[in-house]
Amino acid sequence: MIEFKGVHKTYDNGIKALKDVNIYINKSEFVFIVGASGAGKSTFLKLMMREEMPSAGEIVVNGFKLSKLKRREIPYLRRTMGIVFQDFRLINSMTVFDNVAFAMRVIGCTESSIRKRVPYILGLVGLQNKARCYPKELSGGEQQRVGLARALVNNPSIIIADEPTGNIDPELSFEIVELLTEINRRGTTVLMVTHEHDLVRMFHHRVIEICEGCVVSDRCADKKRSKAPTREADAVDAAGIFPSVKEGGLL
Amino acid sequence: MNPSSLRYLLREGFRNILHNPMMAIASVGVLVSCLLLTGGAYLAFANIEHTFEWLYSQNVVVAYARDDLTDTQLRVLEDKIKGITNIDKVEFVSRNDILKKFKDSLPKAVYEEMKGENNPFPGTFVITFKELDEFKDTVRQIEQIPEVEDIGYNENTAKALSRIRHGVLLVGGCIIFMLFLVSLFIIANTIKLTVYNRRLEISIMKSVGATNAFVRIPFIIEGIVLGIISALLSYGIVYFIYSVIFDLFGKGLMGGMLGFSSVWYIVIILFSGIGILTGLAGSAISMRKYLKDEGGISNVI
Repeated sequence: MIEFKGVHKTYDNGIKALKDVNIYINKSEFVFIVGASGAGKSTFLKLMMREEMPSAGEIVVNGFKLSKLKRREIPYLRRTMGIVFQDFRLINSMTVFDNVAFAMRVIGCTESSIRKRVPYILGLVGLQNKARCYPKELSGGEQQRVGLARALVNNPSIIIADEPTGNIDPELSFEIVELLTEINRRGTTVLMVTHEHDLVRMFHHRVIEICEGCVVSDRCADKKRSKAPTREADAVDAAGIFPSVKEGGLL
Repeated sequence: MNPSSLRYLLREGFRNILHNPMMAIASVGVLVSCLLLTGGAYLAFANIEHTFEWLYSQNVVVAYARDDLTDTQLRVLEDKIKGITNIDKVEFVSRNDILKKFKDSLPKAVYEEMKGENNPFPGTFVITFKELDEFKDTVRQIEQIPEVEDIGYNENTAKALSRIRHGVLLVGGCIIFMLFLVSLFIIANTIKLTVYNRRLEISIMKSVGATNAFVRIPFIIEGIVLGIISALLSYGIVYFIYSVIFDLFGKGLMGGMLGFSSVWYIVIILFSGIGILTGLAGSAISMRKYLKDEGGISNVI
């Protein structure tokens, strides 16, 4: 599903951001990408989204060979992925509903499909009662859940979360990762960039560590442990964060 | 594109204008100035052309015969003129007949003095042409007849009008071109400001896979709407000013002024065309930086 083969990236100013990166990520995996600031994590994501081109090597994402991708095809690559930003990137003049609907409108969805899909996704992230609120009326965790709903609404096969917990309280960070884990359980590949090692340790997913542009470790998921929700997650789930999950709805 | 998307894009285009009202007013103001000058120059042109046509429609040319021609030679000359293809009618007015026309306006003594051999007027042929398109060629053919001393038509007026026409073209053209560039610059900056204000939305649009066309359309609509508003305002102003001038001078000039009713559609097409093109070009210029690179999800912010 995501493959980096011998990928190098050197920027015009001479900075070598990635050096000979070889990664294969399967469908439905949950992967943490960790590393210090400047390690090359953001470059990794930019290459995946075809925001940047590699200096050498080959990248394949969801069947798209990125080196052969024409400019006009880039939007169609991006429609297969949902992006969650550290700074939420919500439009303050729009309600929660419209922020999520915005992602559907700009790819040409009909209003009737938007009216059906958005409430469903808001229910999935536990914000069904906040549809008419504006982002500033929400907590950091809630705002990030809106961001997550927006990333999910077009039913992507990959979710890319770029430090999604960077701007929220630690206790809410757990909630966000748990939500991503639940989304992953339903078949969506999740890539989460973070430097919060404590959070990574709490979940038992695959961890790829990048240091100075090189992959220095690639620890596989502890499948047994990653499937079993922690006690805290049970509590969150019981509080109704995933109502639609319990109803057995599909993403 | 489905109707929902079309409605959405149109709404966004109008929303852009309402978000930057001052810049929108500035753009419309400059574009209206440009269009008014363009319209003014066009109407001046149209009126000069109209006068030309009037002049040509006075398709009577007078040919003056040489003084030394006998009556027989004058008849031969008349036949020669009639032999030219484009001649419709030739009427001979003798020297005495011309002098008689001045009988009342000249002092009696002078009139008596001018009779007979002292008559200063030449024998004259009043010639009517069939086709105006061949006016110049026909005049040249008459001039080439040796017995013709001179030929008279509204040449000086035509020359003066031609000079005015060239002047309007040159000066008007330069001013209009400069104003067009200024309008383009201001509209491009207005839209650039909108793009800057909406850079967050653009980055989100790109991240979820909106095509460049989808990102661009609201800004193009903004440009076109500004162009259309300017065109309509300019049309109203030009109509008003032209009507006032027409009421004052419309009937007094040679052939009268051209009625607005015969040029209104050209003015509308001219204004809408320039307005829409300026709006389109302005939005294209301002969006280029943001859309040149397909990436830019994070760079836009």
